[in-house]
Amino acid sequence: MSEISCHGSGETAITAEGNPFRNGLWKQNPVFVMVLGMCPTLAITNSVRNAVSMGLATTFVMVCSYGLISMIRTLIPKQVRIATYIAILATAVTVVDYLVKAISIPIYVALGAYIPLIVSNCLTLERAEAYAGKQPVIKSMLDGLGMGCGFTIALIMLGAVREVLGAGTFLGVHLFGSHFEPWVLFLLPPGGFISLAMWLLVFAAWKERSAKRAAAAQEEAAA
Amino acid sequence: MSTGTRMVRLLGTVSLLCGILIVGTNLATSSRIRHNQEIIMRDSVAELLPGIQKQIIYAIEPSGELKIVAGIEAGGPRLFAGYDGAGKFLGVVIETSDRGYADVISAMYAYSIEKQAITGFKVVDMRETPGLGDRIRSDPEFEKNFEDLDATHPIKTVKHGTKKNPWEIDAISGATISSRAVGRMLAKSVEDVTPVVLKNRERIERGN
Repeated sequence: MSEISCHGSGETAITAEGNPFRNGLWKQNPVFVMVLGMCPTLAITNSVRNAVSMGLATTFVMVCSYGLISMIRTLIPKQVRIATYIAILATAVTVVDYLVKAISIPIYVALGAYIPLIVSNCLTLERAEAYAGKQPVIKSMLDGLGMGCGFTIALIMLGAVREVLGAGTFLGVHLFGSHFEPWVLFLLPPGGFISLAMWLLVFAAWKERSAKRAAAAQEEAAA
Repeated sequence: MSTGTRMVRLLGTVSLLCGILIVGTNLATSSRIRHNQEIIMRDSVAELLPGIQKQIIYAIEPSGELKIVAGIEAGGPRLFAGYDGAGKFLGVVIETSDRGYADVISAMYAYSIEKQAITGFKVVDMRETPGLGDRIRSDPEFEKNFEDLDATHPIKTVKHGTKKNPWEIDAISGATISSRAVGRMLAKSVEDVTPVVLKNRERIERGN
């Protein structure tokens, strides 16, 4: 199976091998590994509720549109594949927009401006081009589900840090007493960058430690 | 079949399917969306007129007359007259809209008949750029413009930090297009709607 280069980090190689659902969850996590979809990641993660809503909306769009893209992939002429993917993604986003507007006013007020951005989220188009346009329906939908869940988990992790430090709450529930002075910076755009950098640092340190341990184990085995 | 024909056929079919999906979802959700919009409208009126217990919605007919309507079904600009528990008139809220940077901005403003001034402003729906244009909904400095905005003079949006007159709106730095849209929608609405409000002042205050 061919290797596909990823636009986000520039270094990461995405393979179509392995379990497509699990890959998206962790190994190829769209935010922490591929560094894709930064616009919603930084913009809406000032609360856990917003993070969950945006994650679920993106997951829904990815699963539905990848299923459809994969279904017609053999019929799509190469020259118009991007136009076709965008039309399908934009339709799924419009459907989500109507559904959110109909289901919940608070979520619509919080996410209204961001939902149309899902169509221009590089994650959605990148996976359509790299995976759904080449793989069978079930695998493509699993990839969409895995990537969507991975994206949602990453948004929640960022949202949790920002909401707890920036507002002293988690899902709107106050965690500290009235003496707590919220660190408002974390609710503002710089807080998004700082939180993301902190998480990336944690994962990089963890990855390095795991690599050192693996190397040590290999040396031991060789000796 | 030539590649050109294949491309046209494929894109035509995909577009048709997408169109059917969008229209179908729109039809299936439109009544629920209308219901939600009505709740947003009522909440906005309650926020702009604190203490409101009862409201009457008037639609402005093309002849310039006011007509009491039941809710959101009326087209054109509407007036929301608010009253407290004892039936005392509190003020009017007027809906307005104009084209912003990304899409149409829908908003409501409280108009004081006594002062002939705008005493509150609330964005109901918009698609302005997150972090820039969308600050017209939440920027406290921008909100201060509408604490007592003189409506006896044409309302105008001015560059950030240059507001000198009570009928001017101090734009948000980095969101000039959205700020100007707010100024335009208020200026037009004040020009079109407030004469009708003043003409029907007694009727509105009585609530009939």
